[in-house]
This record gives sequence, structure tokens and C-alpha cells, in this order.
Amino acid sequence: MAVKFSFLIVEKSYIIRSGLMQIISNFYETGVVNELHNVDTLLKKLSEVNADVLIINAKLIAAVPELILDIRKRFEQLKLVVFAGTRREADEFPGFDLKISVDEPKHLIVEKIQSLINEIKPKKDNNLSENLSEREKDVVKQIALGKTNKEIGEALFISPHTVITHRKNITGKLGIKTVSGLTVYAILNNLIKIEDAV
Amino acid sequence: MLITKDIKLADVILQNYHLIPIISRFGIKFGFGDKSVGQICTQYHIKTNFFLEIVNAFNDKDYKPYEKLKNMSLSLTVSYLLKSHYYYNKVKLPFIENLIDSLEWEGEDNLKNKNVLKKFFRQYRKEVNEHTANEETEIYPYVLELEQNYNNTGKVSVSFLEKLKTKSIKDYADTHDELNSSLLDLKNIIIKYLYPAENKDITVQILIEIFKLEKDMTDHTELEEKVVIPVAEKIETELKKRY
Repeated sequence: MAVKFSFLIVEKSYIIRSGLMQIISNFYETGVVNELHNVDTLLKKLSEVNADVLIINAKLIAAVPELILDIRKRFEQLKLVVFAGTRREADEFPGFDLKISVDEPKHLIVEKIQSLINEIKPKKDNNLSENLSEREKDVVKQIALGKTNKEIGEALFISPHTVITHRKNITGKLGIKTVSGLTVYAILNNLIKIEDAV
Repeated sequence: MLITKDIKLADVILQNYHLIPIISRFGIKFGFGDKSVGQICTQYHIKTNFFLEIVNAFNDKDYKPYEKLKNMSLSLTVSYLLKSHYYYNKVKLPFIENLIDSLEWEGEDNLKNKNVLKKFFRQYRKEVNEHTANEETEIYPYVLELEQNYNNTGKVSVSFLEKLKTKSIKDYADTHDELNSSLLDLKNIIIKYLYPAENKDITVQILIEIFKLEKDMTDHTELEEKVVIPVAEKIETELKKRY
């Protein structure tokens, strides 16, 4: 499955928020985009939505500069983007990964955000290859036979915890989550016979 | 486009044909000439404001109807949800199953592919069926009873008081996720892993139907999770205080 990023936009004005949403929605890598109107619940929201990129209005930061330090400390992987009315205003905010200003043309903003996305992509992109390893095929087979994690672990001499990790990776690679879905996959790929499926 | 009561219903449909199933769910039949949304709602005894919230929400994904719907009677939303259940169970799912049934492959894989897909889909249909049946026999009646007793200042029945003591709307924590995952799995299976069937037009049709069903069900779930459950929960809390 392609890697998608989660964005969080913090901005009071609906007009500006929807403008930002519009820009963000153009990227292939865009997954969920969440919105916040103010910074009151920002920390809570950040952990809730597991954001990769935070885009925030400079004016909202100016009132609470210590908040950004706090976010930096707590969410090390998070990319911070500040936007302001003008480029000079945006420059007044150190500690951000990217600065954009409202007066910039579309192509500049798009290029900047794309390069930011490219920067974080490799870190998340560890299972783009959709081919299952031999071990993963064994696990799919067992799932399709209706075995529990514990039983699979016993059959393959691995811990249930490892089974869970395999299952996560399998779902990530195939885009198939349910047991019945994985069973269909197993039968179509001749990992098990249709008669043996649960 | 914001749909209002003065727009001609024909124009609404011409502008977004995805609204066709929604409109028929309200019992509206075609051949309505140049009548406006408002006129047609009156003709069919549909609450215009409610109708507008539903079609606008379906028409524009950024249109959030929840706040307005929360101020209307829950019975309206519930009766709409019941009609969607009928549409899923009696119309859409059998239709897709028939399509799957008519897929053909060359050679010996024909039976295997057909059977495995059919089995998956039957299982999914059963899950949807059980899920909606549970809502219809357990959740919706309780929700309606809550609303009725909330508006009614007269005497409350003993059986309702008993229910109020033992039940909690929170217990109906939902299992929509599982149903959603099944549809997503089916899409991935057909798009990525299924050996192409001979009749590829039907494959295309199946995929389109699944995407449409998925969108319909997402809106359906949102109505439950963002309107029915929160309002019912609020009423329940107040009733528990009252009695």
C-alpha cells in the first residue's frame, strides 16, 4: 500500500483553511487532513491524529511561542510548517521546517511542500514492495486455515507477538485486512485449497 | 452547489446523478416535471428541511449536516436509516452478488474463482444483514423510545423505566469498521489480485458498484455516529437524571 501522510492544519479563518486543504489535497501522498481552529487542543489532537505534518498560522504561534518548543520535544518526527501574511513575517519564526506565505504563487508553495514530503517519505516507506516473503506466505496460509495467533506461532515456531507483526506487514503490503479477505488471497494464489478454508 | 427548496428537483439530479438512490429512498418517483424540491417534498409528505440536509450532505462531502439534524426529531433520521438498510440488503447487495455470479473465467480456474468470490461476498452480506438487523431490533427502537419519553411529560411506563435502568446507548459501540474493511479488501482483491475474468465489463461494473456502496455506507455510518448516537446519549443522560 502506498504511504500516506497525515496533515493537521491549524487556522482560524475558514477561507484560508479551505485554501490550504485544497493545496494539500493535490499531493499523491496526502492521506488524512485534519483541521483545528485554534491551538487550545493542539497537543491532544497531534497525538490523536498521529500527524506527520503540522501547518500552522504564524499569528497563532506568536501568542504561545513555548508551545512550538514543546511540540518539537514531544513529536520529534513531526514536520512543522508555518505560514504568514508575508515572507518577511514568516522569517520571524525560527525552528520550523518550512515557511510559506500567503502571497506566494501556487507552484512555489506546491514545490516546497512536495520537497518536504519527499524528505519524510523514505522513513515511512519501508514496505513498498508488495511481494510477500516466504515467511509471510506461511502466515497467510495459517490465517486462511482459520488459526489463531497463538496456534500460528506454535505451528511456525515463532512468538504470537511476531505473528502480529507479520500480520501487520501483510496487511500493509496487500491492502487486505480481514480474515475472509486474506483467505480469498490465499486461495487465489494457491497457498491453500478452497476446501481447506474455514 | 447548495441545494435549496426552490431549485427544480430535475436540475438537482441532472447536476449529480449520485443522488438518484437517495431520492428514491424517500419514495420519490420520476416524471416529476419542473417541480421544485419544496413542492415535491410537500407532495410526498417529506419534511423539506430534513430532505435538504440529507441531499446536501450526500452532494458535497464538506457539507456537514449534523448540527442541524441534531435539532430535528430523531425519528426522521431513523426512518431514513431504515430505508437505507432496505436498499443495502434487498437491492444493492443482491445486485452485486448477481454480478459476481455472472463472472466467467477461461479454463479450470473458473469454478475456483467464482466460488471464492461468492463465498466472500455471501459472508459480507450476512455480516451487513446481522448488523442492520441488530440496529433495527435493538438500537433504533430504544432510541425512538428515549425520544418519545423525553418529549412526553406525562406518565412513563414501568417497562421503559426498567430499560432506562439497565440499558445504555454506550453499549452499542459500533462495529462498522469491520464492515468497511471487507469492502476495502474486496476492492483490493479485484483490482490487484484476481485473474481477469473473460467478461471484463462486468468486473468494471462490480468495482463501480462497490465504490458507490462504500460511499453510501460511509454517509450512513456518519449519520448514526454523529447524529443518532450523540443525541440519544444526551437524552438518555437527562432521562436518567429525571427518573
